[in-house]
Amino acid sequence: MQSGKEDRGAREEILGRVRAAVRAPAPRQQSGSVGPIFATVTDPLERFQSECAANHTDVVLAANGDETVTALHRLLASLPPGEIFVQDTPELRRLTLGLDARQSILWSSGGPPPESSQVAISHCEALVGQTGSVLVSSHGCGGRGASIVAPCHVIVASADQIVPDLEAALARARQIAFGNSFVGLITGCSRTSDIEKRLIIGAHGPRRVVVIVRLSSGPSVPEIT
Amino acid sequence: MNRIAQEFHQKAREKASDQAHRQTIRRAIDTYETAVTKGRARFADYEAARERCAEIKWEAVNHLDRYLDQFETNVVQRGGHVFWASDSEHACRYVLELALRHRVKTIVKSKSMVTEEIQLNADLERNGLRVMETDLGEYIVQLRQEPPYHIVTPAMHLSREQIAELFREKIPGDVTGETHEELVGAARRSLRRDFFSAEMGITGANFLVADTGMIAITSNEGNARLCTSRPRIHVAIAGIEKVIPRLQDLAVLWPTLATAGTGQSITAYSTLIGGPRMAGENDGPEEFHVILLDNGRSRLLADPEQRDLLQCIRCGACLNACPVYRNVGGHAYATVYQGPIGSALTPPMRGLAEFQHLSYASSLCGNCTSVCPVKIDLAHHLVQNRRNVVAIGERPWPERTSMRLWAWCMLSAERFKLASRLGRTMLRVLNAMGLAAPILKSWTEHRQLPPVPKSTFRQMWRNNAER
Repeated sequence: MQSGKEDRGAREEILGRVRAAVRAPAPRQQSGSVGPIFATVTDPLERFQSECAANHTDVVLAANGDETVTALHRLLASLPPGEIFVQDTPELRRLTLGLDARQSILWSSGGPPPESSQVAISHCEALVGQTGSVLVSSHGCGGRGASIVAPCHVIVASADQIVPDLEAALARARQIAFGNSFVGLITGCSRTSDIEKRLIIGAHGPRRVVVIVRLSSGPSVPEIT
Repeated sequence: MNRIAQEFHQKAREKASDQAHRQTIRRAIDTYETAVTKGRARFADYEAARERCAEIKWEAVNHLDRYLDQFETNVVQRGGHVFWASDSEHACRYVLELALRHRVKTIVKSKSMVTEEIQLNADLERNGLRVMETDLGEYIVQLRQEPPYHIVTPAMHLSREQIAELFREKIPGDVTGETHEELVGAARRSLRRDFFSAEMGITGANFLVADTGMIAITSNEGNARLCTSRPRIHVAIAGIEKVIPRLQDLAVLWPTLATAGTGQSITAYSTLIGGPRMAGENDGPEEFHVILLDNGRSRLLADPEQRDLLQCIRCGACLNACPVYRNVGGHAYATVYQGPIGSALTPPMRGLAEFQHLSYASSLCGNCTSVCPVKIDLAHHLVQNRRNVVAIGERPWPERTSMRLWAWCMLSAERFKLASRLGRTMLRVLNAMGLAAPILKSWTEHRQLPPVPKSTFRQMWRNNAER
């Protein structure tokens, strides 16, 4: 809130001017078009995959928990060694068991990802068919930095998290809005077209975004006994 | 003609005949248009999207007091601070005092037109703070000590070669080559150091969401995400007109803004920030401040005719669509906001008499109106600004007199008949004496005066009717 007396005065002055101003009615634009704005997304998973192909997100489909583990380990083995930042959840702890020693894991419970982290692994709040986006949050997905600091971001998700469109994604965002200081939609990799309008992938954020989608429902990852 | 207008005319003339500049702009806008055509096709009904966006912004702007109040309540409830700034100086002072109180040395900034409007960087730098623009285009123009050339593409006027030369001079240690990729990489390396050492992050806001007390920021590069993740303090500055009623409104505003701005289906990072780091979160700033800036907006709001200018979402579509912008470029305007929206906004915001020339920097083709995603009738705003300039008596007397005479003639069939007959005779005499050209110099300089036709309109009408 405003601190000083003068500043509280500014609030009242501005709001007072605004109140007085809107008292005079302004013409409302005539609504002509009434049709649906977007076509209905009939197959959200298929749409999600095709949108991701267009926006430079890699999608890996895994039939079940075992395949998710295999896909993740294969992906990490293909990346240069370095620190891996992982959202600290029981599922991701299980998934990352047995990674080889050249990769050191930093858990989100220990703080934000350092500049040097090479990969970040997190969950997501939802996947969006219409735009091929990933909905993330600060509480639910390892913090604000998890999805932006490391050059590669891996999202471990399941098919039942796919929602058809932005309308549904924002309904989900509304549910979690007051429990998170950050909620974001990520659509593809970090990019810029600021030099001669040429699209370059990898500006300040990740150059690579990978979504591993587990198709089976039920318990996420096999319990390791 | 005042000095500002003279400079505009001179720069416009220079830029319009600068072939290299024309080519750079044409290439950029052609790329944009191809992308936008594809982008619009992704909608089932793009016109319906424009209608919906206009409705949302109309609702917000016409009930601004209610939504600002709601927004403030929600931000405060989230542990954020809301500061109401009457003008530029008021806003800058708040940021400066905040920075000094927290012993801030380096500030990272994501792209924000409103901070250009209040000249925030200059103010902070004068007080010894280091301010780094982190959007690539903004970073480039900052290194060149230039204002942004375009609302969305600040360095649109520069070629890769010019940028390479700039980077070699300013950040030689980070440059590894001169391809597009290598230049982006150099900026990334250089700015990463700042992201991880800055104590304060400053952003704008594309929308202020009233029902959740969050700000919405869109960014493709991810720089706004880094500005709001690492530094201890986050300050967001936005005009009071940025508020929207509901989070759900973004389901159409986000894709429409992205399509109109760049042709994308949605911007890569469509981000919502609500408050500082919450208990249990592992990162985020300790303090979150939102500055709600008036700076003349409430005055615009008070005029129902001009009120819809506050619906603008700064997508830049009207700039790209404007034949004048395409020819004279962004810097000739010498205003914060360029192109049609700038020409419509600047005179009522900064001085009708001083900036009246911008109302005439238009062919009134209406392309801006037809592309505006929130359906602001920009072309008519330009005409209304012209009318307002006339009303305050700021046009030269020969123009005022001749327009009054013309209106008087047009209001009666008899007077019109007489005037057209007299006009033909006069034009013939003037032509014969070689005088027509000098009198109508500003018109004939670039155009040929048509020969006087054989018959008047009335005669032609009569002849056609007889046939």
